[in-house]
Amino acid sequence: MDKIIQIKNLTKQYKDLKAIDNLTMEVRKEEILGLLGPNGSGKSTTINCILSLLNFEQGEIKIFGKEMKPDSYDIKAKIGMVFQEVAVLEELTVQENMDYFCGLYIKDKKTRQQYINEAIELVGLEEFRKFYPKQLSGGLLRRLNIACGIAHKPELIFLDEPTVAVDPQSRNHILDGIQKLRDRGATIVYTTHYMEEVEIICDRVIILDKGKVLASGTTDELKELAKIEEKITVEVNNLQPQYLEKIKKFESVDKVEYHGNILLITYQKGKNNMLDLMDYLKKENIKYNKIYSERPTLNDVFLELTGKELRD
Amino acid sequence: MFIHNFKYTLKALFRNKMLIFWTYLFPIILGTFFNLAFSNIENSEKLEIIKIAIVENDKLKSNTIFQEAFETLSDEENEDRLFSTQYVSEEEAKQLLQNNEIIGYMILEEEPKIIIQSSGINETILKYVTEEIMQNTKMINELAENEIQAEIAIGNISIDYHKIYQNVRETIQQEEANIKNIAKSNLSYTMIEFYTLIAMSCLYGGILGMVAINQKLANMSDNGKRVSIAPTKKGKVVLSSLLAGYIAQIIGLAILFAYTILVLKVDFGTNLPLILLLGIVGSLAGLTMGLAIGTVVKANEGLKTGILISVTMLGSFLSGMMGITMKYIIDKNLPILNQINPANMITDGFYALYYYDTLDRFYFNLVSLLLFSGIMLIISYTSLRRQKYDSI
Repeated sequence: MDKIIQIKNLTKQYKDLKAIDNLTMEVRKEEILGLLGPNGSGKSTTINCILSLLNFEQGEIKIFGKEMKPDSYDIKAKIGMVFQEVAVLEELTVQENMDYFCGLYIKDKKTRQQYINEAIELVGLEEFRKFYPKQLSGGLLRRLNIACGIAHKPELIFLDEPTVAVDPQSRNHILDGIQKLRDRGATIVYTTHYMEEVEIICDRVIILDKGKVLASGTTDELKELAKIEEKITVEVNNLQPQYLEKIKKFESVDKVEYHGNILLITYQKGKNNMLDLMDYLKKENIKYNKIYSERPTLNDVFLELTGKELRD
Repeated sequence: MFIHNFKYTLKALFRNKMLIFWTYLFPIILGTFFNLAFSNIENSEKLEIIKIAIVENDKLKSNTIFQEAFETLSDEENEDRLFSTQYVSEEEAKQLLQNNEIIGYMILEEEPKIIIQSSGINETILKYVTEEIMQNTKMINELAENEIQAEIAIGNISIDYHKIYQNVRETIQQEEANIKNIAKSNLSYTMIEFYTLIAMSCLYGGILGMVAINQKLANMSDNGKRVSIAPTKKGKVVLSSLLAGYIAQIIGLAILFAYTILVLKVDFGTNLPLILLLGIVGSLAGLTMGLAIGTVVKANEGLKTGILISVTMLGSFLSGMMGITMKYIIDKNLPILNQINPANMITDGFYALYYYDTLDRFYFNLVSLLLFSGIMLIISYTSLRRQKYDSI
């Protein structure tokens, strides 16, 4: 089976607000699919509908080729979920929390303990087994949240913004772990509004806004959607207006901005933009400190599609 | 899965310090306070015979039940007598009250009227006893009337008045026995405080059920979402969590009983198995009330706990926790409130065990508590049966 999740025309409404608007998407086997969108774009609602936690007005959801219902225990047994909010029992230790949640899936104690050990190792909580959640830092708590969701070795894993408010070390640990899970054969749906994470780990991305799919594809495919192709930044002091006017007239330049000592030139398509610019600066004897080029980001794509930033 | 969930739910409940305080420690602290505060008052008032007057009039003369009841309660040969009664005219009664020679007097008109100068335990006892006798009188009159109506209905023209008289007489004798009991037991109002304390403890136990369930339902908590997506039947999870809550509650109640009996030396009488039965059923009422508040109220756990504590405290107050007078006032003026108040059902059940030889009133309260629990379960079920939610 190539398609692990198939969603057709899903609509979910909260009174007058359409949280999901006729959404159609699919998740393929052993991929990390990124659901990218700002807060309130419908990412978590989509997942809750898929998990059969929420009612929806219209549409069809199939997981592993079967319709998902609250009593689809055979499907549920293959799913793992890491919620945006930390969902653990404060009164139980790390080991006990994992044993409790894993025990809802795995009956055999020996197998369960083995799975728990593997999950604890994956998230790097070996030294904290006897700690209570309140004794853990925010990052470690997030790791425990992940471990509780994946310890039973699910085939399909949903991770809903697992790195919110996490320190860089824990974030890297979490992202590494997610890639390892995919490498072991799990299919992963990863929601976030951090485009950098999507670019690092996702095989494919769906951009959501106001409950609608705006675009989907690999990160490279999505970047193709952007009108711009390159952004060049130059640190330069006291640049005279006549030079700015000349740069604006370069071939394929879309926009030129100069604030403080930063000159930002946005190009549409075109080759050798950097070389041409450096030649010009040399010719005019304009001194500069730094010059560097960037490819358009997913944020640029989102900005172009919606007119707003991802983190708005 | 049932045992797995039960084990961890019980573990989590026992490690929740806030819960342990409210359900285990708070009733013990309050019980200790009651004991310190009221034991001296109780001892000083134990042997006091209450001085009252009864206005002699035609109504009283024609009411055998009232006459006999007060005679029994004022019988000088009975060392456990409750009243020292003077039979006087209304003017004399007023004078006696003014001179503080009596705490109050009763005039029997269409309804008995109690005149007192201040409110206190003795005045409350006079009111309460008069009310009891009045209710018994009504019951006996109705019984006699029903007997006559039944004879007429079957076409019996020559009504057997002797038989009716015998039946009514038997009922009166039974009630006299009850009234004697009231006198014998000295109406220990400290006991009422302990009864309400246990009632409060039973109902506080509802917090345990509420918290246990909150952790298992998707629309109540994040942990609930995690449990809801697991391949486990919701019914099993809910039942095993409730059972864990109930066991924790019963253990708390057992500790409270042990503490009050062994440390505070409270005498719960001779019906300990029935007292425990009432405690167990009362705890069930508390558990189901907690479940209903937990499932129906859409708020965070702290607010729900606050609601449950407030409802329990109010119920305990109305059933006499801060003074038996309140129980009397509610019984007299707004009886429906105490009839639906689980704290009162428990308190009244203990009270019935202590003061009455017959168990009718006890079982009435026991059945009322079971009915209350049933209603709470039905309310909870409508919310619990949902598998998917409109919003979470």
